[in-house]
Amino acid sequence: MYDLIIIFILLVLGYVFGQAAEKRHFRSIIKREEQYRDLLTFSKRFPLDADYDQKASLVGGSVVISVDYFKRFAAGLRNLIGGRVTTYESLLERARREALLRMKEEARQQGMNTIVNVKLETSSITKGRRNQVGAVEVYAYGTGLVSNIDQ
Amino acid sequence: MDYQNPKIPEGINVTDEHPLKGFLYLLAAVAGTIAIIVLVISLSIGELAKLVPFETEVSLAEKIKANVSDDAIENLNASEQARHQQVQAYLQNLADKLSRAHQLPEEIKITVHYLDEPVINAFATLGGHIFIYQGLIDVLDSENALAMVVAHEIAHVKYRHPIVALSRGASIGLILSMLTGVGDGGSIASQMSLLTSLAFSRSQETESDIDAYNALISYYGHAQGATDLFNVLKKSNHILSPPELLSSHPLSEKRIEKLNELDKGAYAHCSKNSMGCQLTPLPDFLGVN
Repeated sequence: MYDLIIIFILLVLGYVFGQAAEKRHFRSIIKREEQYRDLLTFSKRFPLDADYDQKASLVGGSVVISVDYFKRFAAGLRNLIGGRVTTYESLLERARREALLRMKEEARQQGMNTIVNVKLETSSITKGRRNQVGAVEVYAYGTGLVSNIDQ
Repeated sequence: MDYQNPKIPEGINVTDEHPLKGFLYLLAAVAGTIAIIVLVISLSIGELAKLVPFETEVSLAEKIKANVSDDAIENLNASEQARHQQVQAYLQNLADKLSRAHQLPEEIKITVHYLDEPVINAFATLGGHIFIYQGLIDVLDSENALAMVVAHEIAHVKYRHPIVALSRGASIGLILSMLTGVGDGGSIASQMSLLTSLAFSRSQETESDIDAYNALISYYGHAQGATDLFNVLKKSNHILSPPELLSSHPLSEKRIEKLNELDKGAYAHCSKNSMGCQLTPLPDFLGVN
């Protein structure tokens, strides 16, 4: 019985704080994406046919986001039935967009206005360890360039 | 060529659905499935547990035996010890006679334990052990009424209700702890003792009532006194809260009704003044307390 009470408290904690954090994060992501929209990013490996300075540099941004207890519990139930794990989908979406934003931030600090060859790496921090709330890392990286074309 | 970063629309990778909605749906689906599994297993275990040989049940009881009555005797003085043994021998004798009336299978042996405590209760548990409290004997007026209680408990043993209840409880606990990760599946066995009251279902109680009633008729030739216990319990409910074990039993009134239905034929020759339907009094030493 005590186990159930503890689980319930953890669920409430996870839900209240997890959802609040997620909402806040999404608002912040959408706002900052607008600020970095002029910084062009391409998954293409080589620069576009345009005029570039001879300055290129690796730029990257990484983020680690923890799963909360509510998300983990809901995903655990999902494991039994199958279907979209929506609680993890939003978590990874946040992580990817945040990593891209941090990459762009780094590029802007170095005076770059274009990033090519953008790639994403994802890894689970607590892989293989049972009974532990996991965390996911997303790393976004690419080659920052300075384009001379007026945008 | 003109390149630009488009504004990506929201709500493609992430659903707008409220997280609690999906969560509650999942919870309901999983809980419903677990409930069905538990129901199916508890029903099938009920039949399967009856196939366990009685010897196995006895050795299981031996392992988890709490030496209740033995400890109790050691703390008594000589005269109390003598009385305790006298009562125990009397109850055992009564149980043996009723076992024959029950036509108990050869391999099933009934062992009666007498507990000198003011608790209104009696119960049957694994291995054919039956516990009877002084408190229960105190509220009964005749040997017939006591015999009804003993016969009822013997019927539980006869129909293997203790092993069914144990198997059911243990397997459901195991499933729940496996599925939810709550609790430790092994703890059920370690918490068991012979004094753990096993919860019998209402249908099991009714089955035992009817069987005890028939045993009473074949032992005494009539069933006078069979409903005495229930009458007493019905009255005492106002004063005493019903004992935990008895509260899981069918309501006393319904049990009396059920038995009265059976009575219609049997009581016919048993008018009040008939000599054949006398109640047998309880021996004096039972009333000492």
